[in-house]
Amino acid sequence: MTMQPQLKSKVRCADREIGEVTKVVVDPLSHEISHIVVSMNGSGERQVAMAMVQAVREGTVELRGAASDIAALPPFKREDYVTTHEVEIAHLEEKVHVTPGEVLVPFPELEKSVKRRTFFMNFTHAIGFLIGLPIAFPILRYLMKPMYQPFDNGWLKIGNVGKIKQDDIGVQFKYKKKVKEAYMPESEIEKNVWILKATPAVLEKVYQGKDMEFRDATGKAVWTNKKEVPYVAFSGKCPHLGCGYKWRAHKVLGQVFLCPCHLSIYDASGKVLDGPAPRPLDALPIKVSSTGEVEIIDMEFKAGTKSQIRII
Amino acid sequence: MAHSSVPSTEPTAIEKVIAFIDERVGLKQMQAKMLNEPVPGGSRWAYVFGSVLLFIFIMQALTGILLMFYYVPTADHAYASTQYIIHDVDYGWFLLSYHFWGSTAMVVCVFAHMSQVFLWGAYKKPREMIWLVGLALFGIVMGFGFTGYLLPWDQRAYWATTVGVEIMDKTPVLGDFMARFLKGGPTPGQMTLSRFFVIHVMILPAALMGLAGLHLFLFRAAGPAGPFRGTQEEIKAKTDYFFPRQIWKDIVGMAVVFASICALAFWEPVVLLEEATPDPGDYHPEPEWYFLFLFQLLRLKIFAGEFGQFLGAIALPGAFMALLAALPFIDRDPERNIFRRPIALIGWIVVMVSILLFTVSAIINREFLD
Repeated sequence: MTMQPQLKSKVRCADREIGEVTKVVVDPLSHEISHIVVSMNGSGERQVAMAMVQAVREGTVELRGAASDIAALPPFKREDYVTTHEVEIAHLEEKVHVTPGEVLVPFPELEKSVKRRTFFMNFTHAIGFLIGLPIAFPILRYLMKPMYQPFDNGWLKIGNVGKIKQDDIGVQFKYKKKVKEAYMPESEIEKNVWILKATPAVLEKVYQGKDMEFRDATGKAVWTNKKEVPYVAFSGKCPHLGCGYKWRAHKVLGQVFLCPCHLSIYDASGKVLDGPAPRPLDALPIKVSSTGEVEIIDMEFKAGTKSQIRII
Repeated sequence: MAHSSVPSTEPTAIEKVIAFIDERVGLKQMQAKMLNEPVPGGSRWAYVFGSVLLFIFIMQALTGILLMFYYVPTADHAYASTQYIIHDVDYGWFLLSYHFWGSTAMVVCVFAHMSQVFLWGAYKKPREMIWLVGLALFGIVMGFGFTGYLLPWDQRAYWATTVGVEIMDKTPVLGDFMARFLKGGPTPGQMTLSRFFVIHVMILPAALMGLAGLHLFLFRAAGPAGPFRGTQEEIKAKTDYFFPRQIWKDIVGMAVVFASICALAFWEPVVLLEEATPDPGDYHPEPEWYFLFLFQLLRLKIFAGEFGQFLGAIALPGAFMALLAALPFIDRDPERNIFRRPIALIGWIVVMVSILLFTVSAIINREFLD
């Protein structure tokens, strides 16, 4: 890089010295100095293009042409410019080196004898880390408090199978479940399951010849659905992504369980007929009394997994 | 700029106050620096989106704070307090609807802003970091939409959250933890509402303010990119400062956005559905319109099953965001003219058209569900 004209440098023409550099003008795009401003020894200022500069030396700027040519230029118009302090052009100031030498500030006395600056810097970081470390774990545990809860294996009365008039038809049973969450007052939430009075063929598809066991978090069996019992209860939660599905007529597939969210379709036995669901509908533990009263264990399974993973 | 003007009369009280502050903090120089920023190639309407986004955010903060005067983030009162805002508080319906439509405007402007930066090639060296911080801001805006949606605690809110969190659950290894952490339990309830509330009104605003500040700082440090066509001389000849022409365009942009949001709030005010409960009844769950394409995507057969779901819900959006983040480092050609970057142009069109197609098909699909 060639030397930039320095402020206060003497300006010399081919014939004589004409004054000194008082300002420089920088191109906002290229960040190059485009002009110097020369004070003409008391007779005003002239703006001189860098093209007229022949050489820049320590303390002097030499121009092409005669002093009279420079004096003939129009006077410099300060109001056409802003200073670099009043404009935001990225990295402009760091490219301009027009002040001769360096501008220095003395180090304070106390700083002069400090040898191990890096050590102190690292030590500061280490102490900061030691402050953060002991609170990280409490914070994590604090936030994790409600995340994992024991399963609820209580039986819930949800209605009477008397309202089921036809075999292999999904019938929705709505029920209210009492929930007590932490400090909140006990409240009731509405839920639903789909109950089917299954013909042996459909029952076979649901149970595939085996009784269905339900387990607690510890792996302990809590209930077994006998494969001969014709009533099957499906959790109201779609095993795809957890929406609520419906029993409805499909143009091609006939009567099916259909989820309006992502269009998973299941047959009466809960088997996936179409759509994105990864597994059949979740059958729940069911008990039907001699009078037809239905009780279920309101289990929920994680949606979107191939295997059933119980979450409540 | 007139520097030589000498005040002919005594300064007024306001001038004295300004002078007092200026002497201590350099107010005038600061203001000059803010306003005197050369806009290479001159001001344009295309450049308004950044300022408009800042304006929308300020209005969201204002309306959001006002909503908190009445809103109660508990499972037994969230719905009732929101209904109270809508039906009983003077202009409550308007402020709530403004906040709702403001979030939509934010998403629209984020899309426009990102598209513009992409098409202008403005993410390229030396502006990679502005782009990266911008992507983080995009994530925050989406997070605002997702968390804010639950707060009214109606059926729409409940199901969008249920499905959204189930999607997050599909993240490998960390998914289950993340989903439980967000829900504060195995199923959505009071803990979920508390968490979403804190995230929505404290964590995300703080993150957005910090990152938006960083975004602006990095933008000023790199300088505006300017047009992708024209020689240095042509660009220089058209260059002006941020003030007044660009600020004028920005304020017009803000006014248009403000009027549009007000109009939407007026003609399409927010109406709540039934109170949230795990039985959807006759309601067909659906996310907010800007998530519809993703929703429709997950209906596709290729994204069926456990792995398919991971592919559609996590891997595909994740890979897309990773690609956007890597963009300035992959695309190192300094050429910024979009008409000389065929892959970029085709890529943008393909993404926009697929989002449009999936959104439209999700809307068409509605008919077959009723």
